[in-house]
Amino acid sequence: MIGISNKKQTNTTNVPVVFNMANFLVSSVHDMKNSVSMLICGLDKVLTSAEAAELSTHTELVQMNHEAKRINNRLIQLLTLYKLGQKIYPYDPQSVCLDDFLRTTAAQYAQLLKFREIHLEVRVNPELYWYFDEDLISGVIGNALNNAMRHAHHRILISAAECEGKLMLRVEDDGGGYPAELLEGNGNVMQSVDFHGGSTGLGLYFSAMAARTHRNHGIQGDLYLENGGSLQGACFILHLP
Amino acid sequence: MNINPLDFSTPAAELNFAGKNVLIIDDYMEMRSIFRDILSGCGAEMKKIHMATNGNEAIAWLKKVPFDIVLCDLILGSGKNGQQVLEEAKYQSLVGPACLWIMITAEKTMEAVTGTAEYQPDAYLLKPVTEASLRSRLVKIWAKKEAFAEIHKAMKQQDYSKAMSLCDQRLASDKAHAADLLRTKCDLLLVTGEYDRAKKMLEGILAERDFPWAKAALAKILLKKNDVDAAKCLLEETAEANPAYLEAQDLLAQTLQVMGDFEGAGTVLERTAKLSPNSVIRQKNLGQVAMKLGKTEDAERAFRKSVSLGENSVLRTADAYLGLAKACSANKNSEQALKVLGQLNKNFAADEVRVKALAVEGLVRQQNGDSEKAKQIADELSQSIGDGNMHPDSEGTLEIARLLMATGDKEQAIRLLQSEIKNNPESATLLRDVAEIFDQAGMGEEGVRLIETSRQEAMLIMNRGVLLISKGQYEEALSAMRDAYAVMPANIRVLLNLAYVIITYMQKNGATSELIDEARHSLQTANELSPGEPRFIRLTAALNELTALR
Repeated sequence: MIGISNKKQTNTTNVPVVFNMANFLVSSVHDMKNSVSMLICGLDKVLTSAEAAELSTHTELVQMNHEAKRINNRLIQLLTLYKLGQKIYPYDPQSVCLDDFLRTTAAQYAQLLKFREIHLEVRVNPELYWYFDEDLISGVIGNALNNAMRHAHHRILISAAECEGKLMLRVEDDGGGYPAELLEGNGNVMQSVDFHGGSTGLGLYFSAMAARTHRNHGIQGDLYLENGGSLQGACFILHLP
Repeated sequence: MNINPLDFSTPAAELNFAGKNVLIIDDYMEMRSIFRDILSGCGAEMKKIHMATNGNEAIAWLKKVPFDIVLCDLILGSGKNGQQVLEEAKYQSLVGPACLWIMITAEKTMEAVTGTAEYQPDAYLLKPVTEASLRSRLVKIWAKKEAFAEIHKAMKQQDYSKAMSLCDQRLASDKAHAADLLRTKCDLLLVTGEYDRAKKMLEGILAERDFPWAKAALAKILLKKNDVDAAKCLLEETAEANPAYLEAQDLLAQTLQVMGDFEGAGTVLERTAKLSPNSVIRQKNLGQVAMKLGKTEDAERAFRKSVSLGENSVLRTADAYLGLAKACSANKNSEQALKVLGQLNKNFAADEVRVKALAVEGLVRQQNGDSEKAKQIADELSQSIGDGNMHPDSEGTLEIARLLMATGDKEQAIRLLQSEIKNNPESATLLRDVAEIFDQAGMGEEGVRLIETSRQEAMLIMNRGVLLISKGQYEEALSAMRDAYAVMPANIRVLLNLAYVIITYMQKNGATSELIDEARHSLQTANELSPGEPRFIRLTAALNELTALR
């Protein structure tokens, strides 16, 4: 949003102003995002300095950095959902190298993975390219990775491959798998969102919306949740046309 | 593999920051210092990192130092915004094609979703910017610049066939840039006017994937072939499916205007102006359409916005000032209208602009009841045109004709309008504007007849030379086209046909320096009137070949 100052002052004293909660929420989220951005930059600066690893509070700093990024991602998801709803999201699919994309996304979690002693594998053909909105899908994968990190015991596998003309992205872990309620909807993520049990539902809802925003020749992207897979835990599966 | 931060630092080996001049433009001190730390972390030398806190400081630095990398926040407080700094830097060639320009934004903006616009940064980067994200983005842009360096060089030299074959060569091996290469190749085919080849290629691309840019390109071809209805359908479909792809919407608005559907064009423009309100050009277009619809207050608002956005932009247009003056006058505020015209004269020095401003001033005076002053201006303009020392452009001519009609000099007005039709007999927009002027002067039916006669006359003369050439009558063709040029000196088709006839004549009978000069002058005039016409490019190539042979 570019702020252009309106030089002409309008007299608002006689005009009853209708307060629109949505506008307040959007502008506040936007404002919070700026603050969190500064916080992340500051923490990053501290953590990349040479002495960082020597600090007694290093573990806490890494954790704080991770939480700040989580807040930032949540705020982005809120803003994005608002824009998608208003049909003003600047949807911008580009040709993306999957190998590059998945490694860059995963790199953001490198430090935390190390602390939790989780082994992350990225399995993708370096020649694989696909068209999608990088910002939307990196939000989706980041979200899935966050979830996987909370539940995995030792291993997470991220993979991408072309399958029947679609791109199939999978995030799998070796944890206990999704709760049965979440799988009941059988692919219908919107219905399985549980606002009372631990999760806010925002991540899944965002992911489903992001998937469905992608279309080609009348086919929409979609989201599937399964248990099992190659690591016998939760599988988060994204199909993009 | 184990994920460990070090695994992701390898690509930086290809990008050496040492010795690179870097400019950071941000109004927040904290942000500037964060960016400086990130860049120095990437290996940039501290003494080569420069910082600016606002647009003017940035421009001053850009004038002094040839920068390799520019990081610019889109929002810079008061004064110029980041986009306007970029526009000015490119417009004044303060940065070359090798410079990496990254725009930093808090959120993804509509402006990021666009094609190969002239004033686009190399990338938009969302906050928070981390060392890893900046580094990986710079590496990607670097690779893309390298991939396109030779192609862009050929394009700059207008060697389009070389540019196309370079695209083909790269396409064979470069998977990372395949999408951009294909798109560039399609653009090249459009520039050189190879519409059928372009169409076939685009259809092939669209069979794979619904690219909005490919649909917009197809629509452009349809417009070139005058199939306005089909273009409209395609653009409506594209705009509906991709509301964020504003290029399709702008093209749709333009198409609707050509079709005379100002209501529809207004709706589309209002929608796009809401999504991306800070375009000087779009606000101006919105004002013009609102004016056509008689919504003079909406028009005034849009023109005012265009003018105020233009204050800090090299892309400001005189048309916005003229439109604003006319809208103010229509809203019974002639004092304001005259003030705007004064500002216009201060900001724009070109003769064509001055003439238009004078004509509009006359109209404002007339509307305000000062018919004496209006008449004086009308006589002055009429005199200058009669003496042949004033050459208004198409819009200027129409403004003058409007004034002459209003001040009672119908005869001269009709003469001007007729000659303007002859210069542009195929423009539906012009014919409609002329008809409107006749209508307002209460001579609707007579006007329709006058327009039709002038148009037919022009069409006949225009094609005579080409017809004679096809019959092999070269001498006659040449003299026919010279006659046509005398009557219609600003008719693009006549100018290009004249050049074509001269070139064909020389190919047959040998070149002389007089004929080469005549052809070149004709081509240059055409290119000034309508830059980059495919026929201009082809004929220039043919002429250069003849010159080289001599």
